[in-house]
Amino acid sequence: MKSIPTWVLRVDGLTRRFGVGCPRCTDSVGPAHERSQCPWCATVHACTAASFTLARGEVLGIVGESGSGKSTLLQMLNLTSPADAGAIWYREPTDPAAPPIDLLRLDRYAMRQFRNDRLGIVHQRPELGLEMRFSVGGNVAEKLLLARWRNVAAIRERAASLMHQTELPVERIDDAPPTFSGGMLQRVQIARALASRPALLLLDEVTSGLDLSVQARVLDLIRRIQWEQQVTMVLVSHDLGVIKQLARRTIVMKHGHIVEAGLTDQILEDPQHPYTQLLVSSAL
Amino acid sequence: MHELHYTYGLIDEDSKREVRRALLKAVALPGHQVPFASRDLPIARGWGTGGLQITLALIAPEDVLKVIDQGDDESVNAVNLRRLIAQTTGVSLTAVTADATVIQTRHRIPEERLRADQILVLQVPMVDPLRWVEPNLERATVMHGEADYGRMWVYMYESVVRAGDLRIATQYPVIVADRYLMDTTPIPRWDVPKLHQADALFLFGAGREKRIYAVPPHTSVAPLEFEDVPFRVEYTPGQRCARCGCGDSFLTSHAVSDADGATRWVTTCSDTSFCAARQAVP
Repeated sequence: MKSIPTWVLRVDGLTRRFGVGCPRCTDSVGPAHERSQCPWCATVHACTAASFTLARGEVLGIVGESGSGKSTLLQMLNLTSPADAGAIWYREPTDPAAPPIDLLRLDRYAMRQFRNDRLGIVHQRPELGLEMRFSVGGNVAEKLLLARWRNVAAIRERAASLMHQTELPVERIDDAPPTFSGGMLQRVQIARALASRPALLLLDEVTSGLDLSVQARVLDLIRRIQWEQQVTMVLVSHDLGVIKQLARRTIVMKHGHIVEAGLTDQILEDPQHPYTQLLVSSAL
Repeated sequence: MHELHYTYGLIDEDSKREVRRALLKAVALPGHQVPFASRDLPIARGWGTGGLQITLALIAPEDVLKVIDQGDDESVNAVNLRRLIAQTTGVSLTAVTADATVIQTRHRIPEERLRADQILVLQVPMVDPLRWVEPNLERATVMHGEADYGRMWVYMYESVVRAGDLRIATQYPVIVADRYLMDTTPIPRWDVPKLHQADALFLFGAGREKRIYAVPPHTSVAPLEFEDVPFRVEYTPGQRCARCGCGDSFLTSHAVSDADGATRWVTTCSDTSFCAARQAVP
């Protein structure tokens, strides 16, 4: 009997570079050369041949220092940055028997539709993920309106429910984002991302710049959502503590390459790559 | 025979050809804004140069022209545009909507239902409804390309939340052929339903912004609305035209001085041709 694969997302050889490249690039960049920019043609190899799979409800952590390619990889997963090579295979979690689709082969219109319906993203900086001129309720409503919700009362009810779920004061639904604190804005982004019941939630440094108590509340919230809704998540962070709390599996990136991948506990307790060992020892 | 002192239709043939090509593309993609190289004309940009270029590119000697501004055939702008077109083409002029084959207009669509052999050319001051939510032209173009109209819908949602109703009085945004978001130019909401599944061809020209777009006959034109807050046209209960007595047309108000010097407001039909036709019927 043919077995049905359980993965939701499979990334194969995803590559992104900024520049035209040259024949010497391959032998000049990467972790072994301690750089991601080619000294001959100045091309930046932001992400090279990244591959991994994600099961339904799984949380994958991506760690690495600044410039290691984490955010570039996340942007490609969010379909907002084109890839130079590779594929992002997606299988609908509610229908595992359905044939997978390569998201990078979709036309721009279909990509936008997919992003609206199946993806949610929480940015490190709220101004990237929220429209500051609209109210908090309006920002959450946008995802619903994109999903063809056309009843104002129903939209407000759903937005209020999402705000309640993300521990935001519902009575402030019509207030503008600049009147909210940083931690609250991250929760607004989470509420917005969850509005369309996404299959995949992308979290980019969601706790950066937040104080420890606020950070803990945001992490608790993400953990609860993951537990209750079985949302598949990709979590980018340079903070190993955050990764340890949320991610079951982790990949470590350096100079655009994945240098180590495995179970988070295994990586933190028995790191194999020298760079991972350095990261772990720095965090302790 | 009218003696012409200008090139027929004032602008050169290459320019007219370019406008016609843009028009064909606009008709093929209803609601999509097609760029064109807007030419200089002897009127200032913002006074109807987009509509004028379309009219001049289309009009043939056998056409009958009507020009209206704010629904009025005798407004200063309408008279000047009509005079310019007549002087450079020699076409017949009319104020009667039913007699016209080409109607150039600003702010209004005539009250009478237009026929399949009529073309309505609208002058457009602001081309893109996304400008309210995305001032960057490049990003707005991408949003149109991907049909990414979420922010426009949020604008409408916020309007309802803050004011309890859809607050847009004019330039009401519509979705054309289930695809493109389109600005309806400064026509009142009263005229928006006339665009939907019409028999006539509607052409929109923006000279200053160098864009042309179109609503071909029998095309779906849906105003943005919500199930619980539907789109509504202007509602003036009890008001009637002081001249023809019509209570089912778009009305405007004028200040009128009486013989004794007192000023009072009088409400009349905005479409003067429609009003005159009603008055002529005993």
